[in-house]
Amino acid sequence: MSETVIEIENLYKMYRLGVIGTGSFKQDLQRWWTANVLRKEDPFFQVNHECQHKALPDTIMALQDINLEVKHGEAIGIIGKNGSGKSTLLKIISRIVRPTHGVVRGKGKVSSLLEVGTGFHQELTGRENIYISGYILGMSKPEIKRKFDEIVAFSGVEQFIDTPVKRYSSGMYVRLAFAVAAHLEPDILIVDEVLAVGDADFQKKCLGKMREVSQAEGRTILFVSHSMQAIKNLCDKAVWLNQGKMQAFGPSTTVVNKYLTSTQDAHLLQVWQTPDEAPGNDLVRMRSVELEPQLATPDAPLDIRTPLTVRVQFWNMQEEAVLSIGLHLFTAGGECIFDLPSPAVTCAKGLVEGECTIPGNFLNDGSYYISVIIVRDTSISLYYHEECLRFELEDYRENIQWYGKWWGAVRPQFPIQLRQAEIMIPQEGI
Amino acid sequence: MPIATQEWEWEIGSKTSVWNHSLNELWSYRHLLVGLIRRNFILNYQQTVLGPIWILFQPVLTLVTFVVVFHKIAGISTGTLPPVLFYAAGIVLWNFLSDSFTGTASTFKENVQVFSKVYFPRIIMPISVIGTQLLRFAMQLLMFLAIVLYYSITTDLQLQTGLWLLAFPVAILLTAAISLGMGLLFSILTAKYRDMSNLVALGIRLLMFVTPVIYPLAAVPENMRWLVELNPITPVFELFRLSILGEGTLTPVHFIYSLFFTVVLLTGSMLLFNKQGDKLIDVV
Repeated sequence: MSETVIEIENLYKMYRLGVIGTGSFKQDLQRWWTANVLRKEDPFFQVNHECQHKALPDTIMALQDINLEVKHGEAIGIIGKNGSGKSTLLKIISRIVRPTHGVVRGKGKVSSLLEVGTGFHQELTGRENIYISGYILGMSKPEIKRKFDEIVAFSGVEQFIDTPVKRYSSGMYVRLAFAVAAHLEPDILIVDEVLAVGDADFQKKCLGKMREVSQAEGRTILFVSHSMQAIKNLCDKAVWLNQGKMQAFGPSTTVVNKYLTSTQDAHLLQVWQTPDEAPGNDLVRMRSVELEPQLATPDAPLDIRTPLTVRVQFWNMQEEAVLSIGLHLFTAGGECIFDLPSPAVTCAKGLVEGECTIPGNFLNDGSYYISVIIVRDTSISLYYHEECLRFELEDYRENIQWYGKWWGAVRPQFPIQLRQAEIMIPQEGI
Repeated sequence: MPIATQEWEWEIGSKTSVWNHSLNELWSYRHLLVGLIRRNFILNYQQTVLGPIWILFQPVLTLVTFVVVFHKIAGISTGTLPPVLFYAAGIVLWNFLSDSFTGTASTFKENVQVFSKVYFPRIIMPISVIGTQLLRFAMQLLMFLAIVLYYSITTDLQLQTGLWLLAFPVAILLTAAISLGMGLLFSILTAKYRDMSNLVALGIRLLMFVTPVIYPLAAVPENMRWLVELNPITPVFELFRLSILGEGTLTPVHFIYSLFFTVVLLTGSMLLFNKQGDKLIDVV
């Protein structure tokens, strides 16, 4: 069993909201008086025995009751929406801010990479910045000297190493900055969303380096990312933070799936009980539109592999009519991907229903919406129900070492092959 | 209660202690300190034509102004010392004090970017400022000593000899300690209450007038002297001149008063800096 290298116990972090003005000085005095002279608990922060927090109206709890154990060599992903406390947690573990309550204990040297290019100065040359930034991140002079050539080679800015970095392109700047960070050798590495910057190539390099650090070198990593794909690939376990609370902790795939299911902005069902309240006109009125994903397990997220069944019901108010429906699928940007008409059917007055299944492994990841059109005699539009269904598909990749955004509105799995057509035989004398 | 079987190497809690750095930790960041001093020094003169010459240019101009305004126009006495020599000593030491103080007082304001992204003992930053200023001071001091040498050759100036010379580095150390102490204290205050940064610039300018920079303590009228004597920086300046130029007014009691003030100020503000440093990141 590997040993625990970080233990987080009962961690709370509270921030004061609003402008710090004259009131704050009075509050400071009041806090100081109660805490240091009366030896009481901080009046602005109290935790009672049920671990319920009591925050004042002008404060915000960035973290609440976080408990976590990290074992040696584990890679832990931290996910959650913006403002859920991910960065605050990393900052506390990195010793940058103090928790309001609770404690973090640990073993080994911690290096945090919360930003690419910490300590870089515009006026200094690349060489000088490598040293300064290295020192700030906790490297020693011999260590940087030893790795200097490697760092420069990794960054690919050899030519400009004695030029002030203010004359660098932003890409060069980021590459150089990351190169320094990539050569840190901490026991515990803390990384915050560094993948948000840089191009696809750079992101690949980052992830490759992190994989190397976590898997080949056996270091412990805490990693915040919005790329679920990266979390699933790199991390054994994941923590899901929601409004400062730990929503889930466990194997990364499980946690990521739970998270994705909860965040999907879906509009999967619309039902109207009576024709009077239903949208439509004197000829047809909608009864329901529904999108049912054919999930393998109930808690699986909607991803590109999921087949989607669309069901439409409407009341036909006409005596006898030849009706058909059309499904229009749009990307979130409003581009139509397909317009799928049903066969025309002669319908009597009453309820009519249609069904269509969009197969899995057809659409790309992204947001989509569906509009439904009801047509008579395959030519006259009776009613167009716009944007009645909305759904999001998550990415899913197998055996692909690339995390950039997949191109295209669709990602069908048509048969595609590659084979060796001819082998070039080296000929003598050429 | 579970028994703690594990040995933790570090612990982060809500309480900040007054002394949270081991000397080992500080020592491991010595390269950072040297690197920062180098950086600050380079940055001052990046893309200037004259480069570090500016370090000498500034006090020379001040010296000329002082000689013209305070000696020729106002006619303030400089004791038996030649005015150029007297003012040069004052300017060089005062520049060191004033630049070190204003430099360290903005520690938090200037370094929020770095402080909010990476951990290292925060005290490294203000110490590096003092280091940079010490370097500049050393260059100005050389110039000052050249002036002293010139005067001792061309005039019958009697330089200080013997044990008094030992007091010379003491005066410099005290100046560094006072400016660091004040700077640390104000770095916390300015971070929290921005009003203070106005006070820093104004205060240091006014402070010069109650410090014997442009006049010797001996020239102050009796009824006003208590005001200048109350200033704990006064003995340091008198000591500085006394230890090399051989003229200054200094009583042991006055010196001990200054020494005591310096020790209390520096220890107090260092402890406060350590205790408040981590908390301040939330409010800067």
